[in-house]
Amino acid sequence: MTTPQEFAFFVLKRAVSSLFTLFGVFVIVFLISHVISPNPALLWAGFKAKQSTVQAIAERYHLNVPLPQQFYYFLKDYITGNLGIDPVTGRPISSEIAFYLPNTLELVFASLVLVIALGVFLGYISAMNFGGKRDVAIRVFYLVSWATPTYLGAILAVLAFATYFKLFPSGGMYSPTLSPPPHITGIFVLDALLTGNLKDFASGLYHLTLPALTLAFLNFGIITRVARSSILEVRWSPHVKSAAAKGLSQREIRVRHVLRNGLIDVNTLGAIMFGWLLTGTVVVEQIFAWPGIGQFAFFAISSDDYPALVPIVLVFTAGVIIANFVADILYSVLDPRIRLGGSK
Amino acid sequence: MSESSVKRLFAELLFQNKLTAFGFVFSSFFLVLAFIEGVFRGRLAPYNPYAFNLLQANLPPSFSHFFGTNFEGQDIFSRVLAALPIDMGLPLAVVFVASLIGLLSGSIAAFFGGLLDEVIARLTDIFLAFPTIIMALAIAATLGPSLFNAFLALLFVWWPPYVRLVRGRALEVVSQDFIAASKALNTRFYYILLRGIIPNVLPSVIVYATMDVGTALLSLSTLGYLGLISPNTPELGQMVSSISNNLYTYPWEALLPAAIVFLMVLSFSFLGDGLRELLDVKVRPHIFIREKVEDV
Repeated sequence: MTTPQEFAFFVLKRAVSSLFTLFGVFVIVFLISHVISPNPALLWAGFKAKQSTVQAIAERYHLNVPLPQQFYYFLKDYITGNLGIDPVTGRPISSEIAFYLPNTLELVFASLVLVIALGVFLGYISAMNFGGKRDVAIRVFYLVSWATPTYLGAILAVLAFATYFKLFPSGGMYSPTLSPPPHITGIFVLDALLTGNLKDFASGLYHLTLPALTLAFLNFGIITRVARSSILEVRWSPHVKSAAAKGLSQREIRVRHVLRNGLIDVNTLGAIMFGWLLTGTVVVEQIFAWPGIGQFAFFAISSDDYPALVPIVLVFTAGVIIANFVADILYSVLDPRIRLGGSK
Repeated sequence: MSESSVKRLFAELLFQNKLTAFGFVFSSFFLVLAFIEGVFRGRLAPYNPYAFNLLQANLPPSFSHFFGTNFEGQDIFSRVLAALPIDMGLPLAVVFVASLIGLLSGSIAAFFGGLLDEVIARLTDIFLAFPTIIMALAIAATLGPSLFNAFLALLFVWWPPYVRLVRGRALEVVSQDFIAASKALNTRFYYILLRGIIPNVLPSVIVYATMDVGTALLSLSTLGYLGLISPNTPELGQMVSSISNNLYTYPWEALLPAAIVFLMVLSFSFLGDGLRELLDVKVRPHIFIREKVEDV
């Protein structure tokens, strides 16, 4: 077994490396937002802004001082969490993000669960019927889902399931007649469950289903592909044969030796999937009127709200970096080969 | 590749697998259509794609207007045709330039190793952390809405997987004896690159790039959908969002251009998937994953 010290050292190493990446991301975003534009103040204030607004914005975001100082203030704003007032809505940007982010996380985590379940299930079926009709059908299915633009998938889902069949609500996070549960985590469904408010919980889940399913169905393909290829790799491998030779039941072999191997790579893919789902929310939230950070991003773009757009980009990217970090840690915890490698 | 092997490849693309044939035929069809439309500047379109005709607004699809008309009375079919050179050419350009960047810096990283490799790998890691569309959005918003800026924005986030892919393949090549022999003969780097590394790496890049044209198109049309391509430019995603107010009354105005995007992406995916099996290269989605975590 690896000792706790070794494990802690590993976690620390990954954390430092993630921080390094995050810093690099800050540098690049800084370069884009402060350097490449010929007139950063006009960019931050919006191209139609009045002269006085431009000056105020330049003052607030320190756009007139030398570049190294600009970078210092840029970092300082993010470390202190003081991102200024959103010129479009008039609210502090950091509290807007704190409001929108949990809603997005609710949507993304729900579809992450669905994506992995769907992806692994189809990948497993596909590998077990290698070259057969089901394998081909699943391949067509995931290429079709992959090729569907997010807006098309979301519009079709709304038109089909909300407008024509009226199975699901077409938008929103919960029924407007209900009062939301008190703020604990900010994630609606979780808060409702924690306070035992079953009506809110049911309504939240009901509203969550269609957007989460839409995101899941548009993104599961890569998981299916990876699960399929990893299962194919082990399916005829010596250790599976020897498991059969020692008389394990088919079921046991499939679950313990075959499926489990399919899950190892899927774990690492989960982090990438997290990033893709986050990206997908920009379109999906706008179409489903889901008050999340994706919709906030959409509004920021359509109203030239640059001071809000920069933090949004950084939040999205930080989300991906954190997801990668968690996946790395999970990978080392889950993969038995790494665990066994330590015990000599 | 000799002439007969090219012929064989085409024959296999066409006849071995129905899905691949579908992908090959349709992606060639869209390419040719986009090329003709681009060269002859709209001769194919039955109507002027920019002309307003408010008396004929929001018409359903019919024989005179194949895809109907939008809220300004513009013929949607003509607009789709006018959008093809953009929606085909821009992703091709992005993927092509990204491949060049990948081939060059991936090979350099693999060949020279050491500090240079470390720097390139770190930079790739940082760029891979950006969610593509979000970052492209930020850049497009910074540079302002135009086609060239959309190209720059996409390229900015598009090259890292190529570097990763080429570096991985090139490392395998560089470790082989014939490269060591070339090195011993003091061959110049660009000669080794052109004769040794690139021919061995190219099949993987071609397969990946073929599938990637579709992905780039998806991202481009999403940029258009989000309003980062100027509204005068016919672009398929932008056409979908421009009618979002009429979505429930006249759904075809959004669904038909979106369906064309779907068909284009689908045909490139099928073609890429088929090529992957024919050329027998492994392009797994694993290149998105950072190199396996070192043991605890």
